[in-house]
Amino acid sequence: MAGATINWSEVAQHPKYIELKNRKRNFLFGWWIAASIYYFMLPILAGYAPDLFKVKVVGVINFGYLFILSQFVVAFFVAIYYTRVANDFDRLTNELVKAVQ
Amino acid sequence: MVKRTLVAISLMLAAATATVAAEPAKQAPATPAASTPAAQAAAPAQTAQAATPSAAAITAKALVPGAAVAPAKAAAPAKVKPNRAITMTMFLAIIGVTICVVVWAAKRTTSAADFYAAGGGITGFQNGWAIAGDYMSAASFLGMSGLISLYGIDGFMYAVGPMFSFIAILLVVAEPCRNAGRYTLGDILSFRAAPRTVRGVAAISTVTVSLFYLIAQMVGAGKLMQVLLDIPYRVSVIGVGVLMVGYVVFGGMKATTWVQIIKAGLLMSGTVLLAILVMAKAGMNPFRFFDAVVNSQFIQEHVRMNVLKDAVPKPGFHYGQRFMEPGLFLKNPLDQISLGIAWALGAAGLPHILMRFFTVPNAQQARKSIVIALFINSTFFFLINLIGFGAALYLTPQLISSVDKGGNMATLLLAQQMGGGAGSIGGDLFLAFICAVAFATILAVVSGLVLAASAAIAHDVYVNIIKNGQADQHTQVRTAKITSLCVGIIAICLGLAAEKENVVALVALAFAVAASGNFPAIMLSLFWKRFNTAGIVGAIVVGTVSAIGLVLVSPNMTYPQKIADDAKKVIVALEKKQATGAVLTEKDVTALDKARADFKKNEGGTSMVGLKAPLFPLKNPAIVSLPLGLFAAVFGALAFRNRRAEDMFDEVEVRQITGLGISGASDH
Repeated sequence: MAGATINWSEVAQHPKYIELKNRKRNFLFGWWIAASIYYFMLPILAGYAPDLFKVKVVGVINFGYLFILSQFVVAFFVAIYYTRVANDFDRLTNELVKAVQ
Repeated sequence: MVKRTLVAISLMLAAATATVAAEPAKQAPATPAASTPAAQAAAPAQTAQAATPSAAAITAKALVPGAAVAPAKAAAPAKVKPNRAITMTMFLAIIGVTICVVVWAAKRTTSAADFYAAGGGITGFQNGWAIAGDYMSAASFLGMSGLISLYGIDGFMYAVGPMFSFIAILLVVAEPCRNAGRYTLGDILSFRAAPRTVRGVAAISTVTVSLFYLIAQMVGAGKLMQVLLDIPYRVSVIGVGVLMVGYVVFGGMKATTWVQIIKAGLLMSGTVLLAILVMAKAGMNPFRFFDAVVNSQFIQEHVRMNVLKDAVPKPGFHYGQRFMEPGLFLKNPLDQISLGIAWALGAAGLPHILMRFFTVPNAQQARKSIVIALFINSTFFFLINLIGFGAALYLTPQLISSVDKGGNMATLLLAQQMGGGAGSIGGDLFLAFICAVAFATILAVVSGLVLAASAAIAHDVYVNIIKNGQADQHTQVRTAKITSLCVGIIAICLGLAAEKENVVALVALAFAVAASGNFPAIMLSLFWKRFNTAGIVGAIVVGTVSAIGLVLVSPNMTYPQKIADDAKKVIVALEKKQATGAVLTEKDVTALDKARADFKKNEGGTSMVGLKAPLFPLKNPAIVSLPLGLFAAVFGALAFRNRRAEDMFDEVEVRQITGLGISGASDH
């Protein structure tokens, strides 16, 4: 088993590991929370501010419809942005794995 | 001791499942609005139909308040009538192709890793399609477009939850789970906790969630096939069940994944084609399209008469524009937030979704698969919105609700219409194709569920608890196959038993349990140093029990007293009309008889758990059960500190962040 040769607590003290861990944590949880806030605005606004949803923006298409569509756009954005940043994480991870093995 | 506790918990959960499943089907009472003199006077030319119990409540929310008012042109109750020969051919073609896949996969399924995780040999791209397929169930394909066609934008709001659940999965669940796990939920959780206890609890939770979901799907499948092919409910449930068991037993995860990929491809083709045809009719101009929706006479009348129940139009009120505004279907904001929580977090804790992360070779591929699934599903849900509004515009909500009160037939009817109308070759072909796609969808989704449930029993309970991890590959695969067969047979039996039951609560329940129990347990196991066995057991037990308990006392259940009260209203209204000397129409007489029978049958009755009215006001319990599960997790972990679990956190964290030792984790 490959796992047997790894000293886990030693890796956990490695400066590269600590950098990777912090960057991942800040990025992932930060974006998760931000995206979730945006997502929960939908049921909250639809339920408690229905008048806002009724404001017509383009022709008969109102704010509510566009807000729902914007949820898709935000999800796309987060996914694409993360895919880019993740390349960075992958590079750091590879460097770390090489350093400890 | 541990085993006895597990047996006790499983018995309790089994009893709870049975209780929920044995709930009598919700009967839509004949509402007075359809037969009051005012409504009659306002719409003399229209035929008021008495509400009857929905024929195909595939969607979780297929409850239509009030009766359907059919336009004059659809006075005779319409039905979806697919051309049997063409439809059967397409069904057989799908069965044929999938059986080829199973035969191909069976030859390549020799080890436990092959059976549970397709040997880690699925690519991120393929897995993305498979995960997307898991989300595109019959409920979203048929139910969501139906909801949009009857309630406008509220139906579209439903689509955001499933789409958004990918964000949590992408950012904080998929990659860590891929790095730290192997085949099941139990593998992820048992890393630094007491393995037997945690695996036992995880297995019970997995089986519970998967069975809830499975029963709902089986009943939906049976009813759909009954409507589409005109074959008896029993035959269709057994047929679907036999195919599903065959896929899983012989082909394991490899066959299940490929059936899911094929289905997802077919479903997307059908959806794209239908959406293009809908938009082409509006000259590919979305503004013109929505303009037409808002100005449709039928939609305006539907919103006024059937949804808002304004017998006399409010002056200056634009009923068509109202179709584009929220609140026609989703009434309670708290319930929506609760549903949002269940989606955003619950999907990440669903065992059959978790299992898919282990079919790819590494975390990068897991990430890629989620991004691809997100794109496919967003496209799908966006197109479903066009199809839903298109159905409302080109078919009229009146026609759709006269065929099925929940609107579940909207997509099928629209396909027929867009193909050239009923009876034409194009219409028959397109309808048959969409029917076959719906059939493939059901098969693919139920197979994944059977696999998840049997993996929990065979891998967690048999191999790791009973055999202490000591079982050779041959035994493991054989056990997994036997378990799949048993789970399949149980699912068929429950599906048959639940024909007349109210299964809509089961889907909400599956998500609530996954969000309140599994999700906190997974997250804290991966990210919190002090988390341990007591915390995991606390999260899953409290999350599951509170979610089930709250649903049992929620408005999801049938309350006979309420049916009796509604029937009473109809009786009073009709008798009043009779007293004024008016002659009752034939429909009214039927409605009166039915109301009297309903009243007699239900008066003084109580729900499954002996309640006259719901104790808990929300249909979705996650807003309460998630905090409870989370609290139990934190409390349990702090009350029973465990040094070993804390010492091992470094290993878990390094593994989940870096993927180091991943081969060690997935080697045998």
